Amino acid sequence: MGRLSLGHGSGGRLTNDLVKKIASAFARESGMLEFEDCALLPGGWGVTIDGFTVSPLSFPGGDIGKLAVCGSANDLAVRGVRPLWLAMSLLAEEGLDEEELFTYMRSAASVCAELGVQLVAGDTKVLPKGQADRLYIATCAMGKNEAISPWGIKEISPGDTVIVSGPVGRHGAVIASLRYDIKLRELESDCAPLWPLIEPLTRLLGVHAARDCTRGGLGTVLCEWAEVANVGIEIDEEAIPADGDVSAVSDILGFDPLYLACEGTAVFAVASEWTETVLETMRSHPLGRSAAAIGKVTEAHPGLVGLRTSAGGMRVVDMQGGELLPRIC
Amino acid sequence: MPQVGDLRAKMSSLLEALNKWLCGPITVMEVCGTHTVSIFRSGIRTMLPKDVRLLSGPGCPVCVTDQAEVDAMVSLAKKPGVVLATYGDMVRVPGSCGSLAEARSCGAEVAVVGSAIQALALAESMQDKEVVFAGIGFETTAPATAVLLREARRKNVKNLSVLSLHKLVPPVLRLLASDPTLVIDGFLLPGHVSTIIGTAPYAFLAEEYGKACAVAGFEPLDIMAGIVEIARQICGGRPAVRCLYGRVVRHEGNVKAQELLGEVFRPASVRWRGIGVVEASGLVLADDYSDFDAYSRFGITLEEVNPPAGCRCGDVLAGRIAPLECPLFGGSCTPQFPVGPCMVSSEGSCSAYYKYSSKGVSPWGA
Ligand code: SF4
Ligand code: SF4
Repeated sequence: MGRLSLGHGSGGRLTNDLVKKIASAFARESGMLEFEDCALLPGGWGVTIDGFTVSPLSFPGGDIGKLAVCGSANDLAVRGVRPLWLAMSLLAEEGLDEEELFTYMRSAASVCAELGVQLVAGDTKVLPKGQADRLYIATCAMGKNEAISPWGIKEISPGDTVIVSGPVGRHGAVIASLRYDIKLRELESDCAPLWPLIEPLTRLLGVHAARDCTRGGLGTVLCEWAEVANVGIEIDEEAIPADGDVSAVSDILGFDPLYLACEGTAVFAVASEWTETVLETMRSHPLGRSAAAIGKVTEAHPGLVGLRTSAGGMRVVDMQGGELLPRIC
Repeated sequence: MPQVGDLRAKMSSLLEALNKWLCGPITVMEVCGTHTVSIFRSGIRTMLPKDVRLLSGPGCPVCVTDQAEVDAMVSLAKKPGVVLATYGDMVRVPGSCGSLAEARSCGAEVAVVGSAIQALALAESMQDKEVVFAGIGFETTAPATAVLLREARRKNVKNLSVLSLHKLVPPVLRLLASDPTLVIDGFLLPGHVSTIIGTAPYAFLAEEYGKACAVAGFEPLDIMAGIVEIARQICGGRPAVRCLYGRVVRHEGNVKAQELLGEVFRPASVRWRGIGVVEASGLVLADDYSDFDAYSRFGITLEEVNPPAGCRCGDVLAGRIAPLECPLFGGSCTPQFPVGPCMVSSEGSCSAYYKYSSKGVSPWGA
């Protein structure tokens, strides 16, 4: 069985396998878990939980507080669930500056205010120096399902259009640029609450599934969709909204923006006749201004994602293997 | 992005040119791992005429790092008080007893750096530790290691040493070009390495071995233009070393960097993974810098160790077999559980075959 590596937490194939193993330990009590970002409960409720660690704790475009609220709220949103309540647990390391902590809390609170989310439960622990990396936050969000048709991987079917709401990879690129000391003035994380963008979509019939492209990025989400729904997916690199700075960081480090995390960009599978309506609806919100149809779901090659490259060739998009590490030169 | 449609148009006119020049089957080795990945990532393999065969060569610094060298890094990392710093992918390459990543999950201190100079900052911030920088890579990264050493000396930093595992490209190309069992008609030469060494050190490939050569950049257009040029040389019967990367590479290379390498290192015969010892193909610290030498500071000697059973990395690196022909490919060797470095490195050809062509059986071709 081996030991856990950082790769197990990177959101790619290893994470996927680990989560399945963990879930199978509960299988008898809980039945088979659905591998969705949020669980839909009887009565039209949705619930999700997530842990947040990010280094550095604050970055252009956000900080761990904002991230912790957006992350959970977005997991609800992408299933058509309006975020309403939040429970939060803080694990802080001895020595963390109080004022710094409150900066993060204020930024978390302002996202809550923006969304109309209420903090209803919380917990705070302080760990001895060295037993944590300054601050971890876990958030559990709950809300009400508002989608007029169910959203989930099971609904994805051949013929669907694949749409992304904005440029991919900005959060991952920001963190990588900080970690590897690449200075880009303009680049900001896309960290943002998605519910305002998604709410109008819940009233449309044609949306089949949505996912925010967090760890593992767009590439990994599409692979998961193809595998779990047993469909093929073909996307066109030319159509994917790109951010020049993300491309620059990726080129320098040898990363593929397809695998870089997004914290405010989501991907949708939409019945083809609804494509234009969904795109128009998204584009009328600032977060979805550059929304684009990037490909389609196919019957051919089930389980595989193919990319028509900007050069005109065709290649497979696989799940990210492990930890993303920069190339050597 | 408007220029993209343009890219597709330019690619297809290059393809036309290729078809015009092509006079029969040709085999081209892309030496550099970044080329390999760019070729896969841009889908060039699926666009080329059947008569053009591409082979991946020994141009990935992670892949060519010998198992003994990996073992040395792991054993250093496990020493109490030592922090081993090295570049990205290296941490996942399995040695005889596990990888640096595994050592790290058991408590060894391993730091991933994006550039060599970060090792200096590390050493300065951890005065109570011995920081060892494992310098891997070719002519491209070696100057950064040289700068690190110069700075460390200038600042009189005592708790830093370098395990130099740097390798040189031209000597291994000579080995491949002179091997009568290998069929390679031309080489797509690495852009970054050439920025440092220039084009002159490759002249022997055309002059002595009749190989067609093009130095190319890493964009799909650069690569395609390189392949067209190689086909033109082969089919026109005039092998040469042509530089198609003039916007970055000068004939004489980067003279400053070469001087720096000359000051800090001296060439040595070193072992390449699966290929064996290649004469004068590595860089070790010059006598002047011997006080920073991790080999002597920690008494390290590199003994020959056997690669894992069945592993064919050496043959893959020499272009003798394609990754799919390795019996372990996709079975016991996958990117999640790699047996050899060619499956670990983001620039390795096994990982490229696995990732970009669905374990080599992509419905869209190679
Ligand atoms: S060292 Fe340079 S030449 Fe070699 S793989 Fe890396 S980029 Fe290519
Ligand atoms: S498949 Fe694995 S063992 Fe075989 S050559 Fe590639 S990396 Fe080496």
